[in-house]
Amino acid sequence: MYICLCLGVTTITVQHAIDAGARSTKQVAEACGAGSVCGRCGHTIRTMIEAASADPPASKPPRLHRRWGRS
Amino acid sequence: MSLVLAADYRVPDFDHWWAALTDDLPRLPSLGAHHIVVYRSLEDASRVFVTIGFRERPPVDALLRSPVMFAWFDSAGVDELPPMFAGEVVEKFDLGASARSAREQGSGPAAAAETVIVAAIVPVGELDRLRARVHTAAGRIAASGVRRFWIYRALDDAAEVMILQEIATERQAEQWIRHPDAAAGFMAEAGVGAYPPLFVGRLVQALEVPGT
Repeated sequence: MYICLCLGVTTITVQHAIDAGARSTKQVAEACGAGSVCGRCGHTIRTMIEAASADPPASKPPRLHRRWGRS
Repeated sequence: MSLVLAADYRVPDFDHWWAALTDDLPRLPSLGAHHIVVYRSLEDASRVFVTIGFRERPPVDALLRSPVMFAWFDSAGVDELPPMFAGEVVEKFDLGASARSAREQGSGPAAAAETVIVAAIVPVGELDRLRARVHTAAGRIAASGVRRFWIYRALDDAAEVMILQEIATERQAEQWIRHPDAAAGFMAEAGVGAYPPLFVGRLVQALEVPGT
């Protein structure tokens, strides 16, 4: 997916920046440019940072719709 | 080669957003768009899933940063821009008789009013393995009420797909999500990081862009 529409920065690129140590939207912007123009993708970048900072995927359930989530 | 853009997001006022969308339709031919399909969530009335189909494949970067695209979000009061999926359809499993009527749609299943759409944008690892599993399980998938199962490959990430499933009834959709076939295990990947949670909704309208 394209995260930053202004610069056409993708999920992969933002994830690489986070994997390399970026832990704020400012650091991600410095690393790859995402969010550095209009800033309206900042919430998505923050979500990716939070996901990277959380427990490993194997230890948490997937986020699913509350009504439609698995039993 | 065609292109499909898709986004899952919330709108502050659906009716206002819908009016803005239809008002903006005349501007979309300048982007090369030829139709828009809009779905609305069953549980969260402010959540929409929108696909835009293009007959040609314009440069995605230029498309995304075009003033028309930003104006579209601005006029609807959408401040936080959603991630955008950009891809092409690679599989169209039309599993039921009711599916035939919408085969002409280029950007996704245009479901009958009573059917439910389950949309997922997820990483799947190897696309070919997913396609093989779905081919093998087609009979079981159809028996579960899935009428259409369309797979789109992302242009920017070989491991990312968008999958639109049209399911005959709301009850069958709920059952399918709670207890999916092994071939639909990708649904468990939804909602991680930038990827949106599963979208479960109904078709609002498939709009042809005038002048295309």
